[in-house]
Amino acid sequence: MKTSESEYRVEMTGISKCFGVVKVLENVNIKVKPGEIHALLGENGAGKSTLIKILSGVHPKDSGKIVLNGKEINPKNPHEGQVLGISVVYQELSLVNDLSVAENIYLHKLGSRKFWMNWKKITQDAQELIDSLGFKIDASAKVRSLSIVQKQVVEIAKALSEDTKVLVLDEPTTVFDPTDIKKLFENLFKLKEKGISIIYISHHLDEIFKIADSVTVLRDGVDTGSMAVSDTNKDGVIRLMIGRELKDLFPVRDVKIGEVPILEVKNLTAKNTLVHDVSFSVRPGEVLGIAGLGGSGRTETAKLIFGADKKKSGTLILNGKEIKTKSPVDAAGHQIGFVSEDRKEEGVFLPLSIRRNISVTNFDSISSKLGFINVDNEYKKVLGLIEKLNIKTPNSEINVKNLSGGNQQKVALAKWLSIDSKVIFIDEPTRGVDVGAKIEIYKLINEVAKKGVGVVVISSDMPEIMGISDRILVMHKGTFYGELQKDQFSEENILRYSIGEPLKQ
Amino acid sequence: MALTLKQQLSSPGGILKFLVKYNTIFIFIVLVIFSALISDVFLTSVNLSNLLKQVSGLGIISIGMLIVILTGGIDLSVGSMVALLAVIFALLVNMVILPVAILLTIIIGFSLGSVSGYLVAYQKMAPFVATLALMTIARGLGFIYSKGSPITFKTPGGEFMSNFANNSTLGIPNIAIVFFIIVIMTMVMLRYNVFGRLIIAIGSNEEASRLSGIKVNKYKFLVYAISGALAATAAIIVASRTNLGSPNMGMAWELDAIAAVVIGGASLNGGRGTAINTLMGVLILGLIGNILNLLNVPSYPQQVVKGVIIIFAVLLQRFESK
Repeated sequence: MKTSESEYRVEMTGISKCFGVVKVLENVNIKVKPGEIHALLGENGAGKSTLIKILSGVHPKDSGKIVLNGKEINPKNPHEGQVLGISVVYQELSLVNDLSVAENIYLHKLGSRKFWMNWKKITQDAQELIDSLGFKIDASAKVRSLSIVQKQVVEIAKALSEDTKVLVLDEPTTVFDPTDIKKLFENLFKLKEKGISIIYISHHLDEIFKIADSVTVLRDGVDTGSMAVSDTNKDGVIRLMIGRELKDLFPVRDVKIGEVPILEVKNLTAKNTLVHDVSFSVRPGEVLGIAGLGGSGRTETAKLIFGADKKKSGTLILNGKEIKTKSPVDAAGHQIGFVSEDRKEEGVFLPLSIRRNISVTNFDSISSKLGFINVDNEYKKVLGLIEKLNIKTPNSEINVKNLSGGNQQKVALAKWLSIDSKVIFIDEPTRGVDVGAKIEIYKLINEVAKKGVGVVVISSDMPEIMGISDRILVMHKGTFYGELQKDQFSEENILRYSIGEPLKQ
Repeated sequence: MALTLKQQLSSPGGILKFLVKYNTIFIFIVLVIFSALISDVFLTSVNLSNLLKQVSGLGIISIGMLIVILTGGIDLSVGSMVALLAVIFALLVNMVILPVAILLTIIIGFSLGSVSGYLVAYQKMAPFVATLALMTIARGLGFIYSKGSPITFKTPGGEFMSNFANNSTLGIPNIAIVFFIIVIMTMVMLRYNVFGRLIIAIGSNEEASRLSGIKVNKYKFLVYAISGALAATAAIIVASRTNLGSPNMGMAWELDAIAAVVIGGASLNGGRGTAINTLMGVLILGLIGNILNLLNVPSYPQQVVKGVIIIFAVLLQRFESK
């Protein structure tokens, strides 16, 4: 198409990719000039990470073309990508905990060329590299001993240790505080001046408008266009991201909430986590939101009640009777459900079929006393749920790993929705889920509440938690700091309580 | 890449797809045809019934190994358990009436398996380590109880067992019938019983199982206990065939059992594997030994061939995946 002199450093054109039966990218285009910071936006599950993984050689593309410096490239693995000058800092950290900072930074060089490594020089080089970024980290320290922010900095240093032409940052600032973010941005501007192309993935639109030159928005695997940042604004970008107005996302709450609490939690304190003195109640039909910063103890609270973590003290009262939940088995026995935020590790059985996934919590209703499963009943139940939850699949025997994030989440939900739960804890109900599935999941939560179930939703997604909850409790440092009624819902109020500040009068 | 290769493979139509999916059965059939072609003796009823008798003991412990492997564990103790339990059975046959001897042997097998199960499920010991310990303990106890030499059956009960183990019903060796019944029971359990479903769930994602309210520890405990009971069943069979219990029985059988399970397409990470495929794995291993014996190949090259077949079978399964 072009000769060797192109105005773009990297061009990805017509990129498509399927995982099994699920299409994750369809004809996506992105072009980045040298010295440009290009923001890649889109909701969770829109295909951003997949696009980056194709660029860096983690996944092969099904079709399309990648051109770097005017030459078509086809990196087959991350190492090839790196050699070509494409470095990626992933959201999930990929450092080796038991090696030093310097060893981690130069890990990709181990085993190449030389037999002996000059550790002194490597440590020195690493130290210089980190110092140049403006952070204080000892290059000879073990990575295990670093804070999560420092680990992220090491990741960035690692990406820069090669002759990098294209640097990709996948949500680098989620763990950073404002001063660290400022430092990071200064570094990015320096790199930009050196002519490095930067692809920057973030959910924080403020950041994008502060540092990016241009932006590409992905929605459900399709790019909805690229533009200069100066030609658009926040509202415009949001509309491109979700494809509709925000208020259409959430169902109308018209559930009659019961008077008597279905579950009361009194002075719950954990043995091994920071959760302490947690007290709250949830009523039948109510959707109770739990907000708070990451690490404030929200997930730990749910796991504590569910019996997955050990309790030190406190009481649980279900329907007026005190119960003990020493393990998830007890909790499930008392008809308390828990949908984990970590869908792949704790929620679903990826290698098993949809049917086998859903049946796991359901055996009481579909098997005889001796444990023999009535297969007709099983199919009836599972197919009914697939239809009700609108899980997009050709049949019930598809393995869950071949479904999209949204459909996987529906399977995880189906496990608990199909039994008569009294209380369900749902941790991050729509993380990594596309917009269409989001709306369906919200509707589902609404319907479950309608049946008189007490639903507790933990979420970091502000619009989400405000959109679906009747009441929000905000956690701060392991306990509830404040409670917000519907008329008090605002991002600012949630944030204030999250950081331990009182509301503005 | 794997996907396109798979697509290429399956593009000519259903046959190749079928072969890839049921590669274990395919390998088995090819081996049978091959054996029948190169040896006149192979298809004789004497040889076939010998073959079945030879694999039945190993087959039964392979089924135990399969259910342990399905949970993501491993049971290295089964070979030594066969030796110890064969010795115990021989001692018991000479002391008490036959039904009691059989029952006690199985109970002891279940109990020994429970020790591994307890260590793995409740003490969080690595299955490899716990069952490695049990392996040497069982072998040692076998030598202690037998004082190092085989114990022969001396009672009418022993004679009855010996007859049972060496005779056939409707042309099928009795001990093979026992093996097949165990295979069928396991098949049914894995497909249609909650216990089977749950051990597969645990093997494919233990944490998700725990958070689904499944009694993970109980099931992990049980699979080792069952593996022990199956080792006892195998011990009774092999002891009865030879009319004695020896501490040298079942040498390295744990490795053959693992091989059979793996040839049968099970994943050592757990969550994947079926009884019918393990049966095929057992038969394939037995067939290789049988045909090489018929061709007078000495035992050392036999081991090499066995290893090559394992590699070949596992490579074939790559295409299947998913």
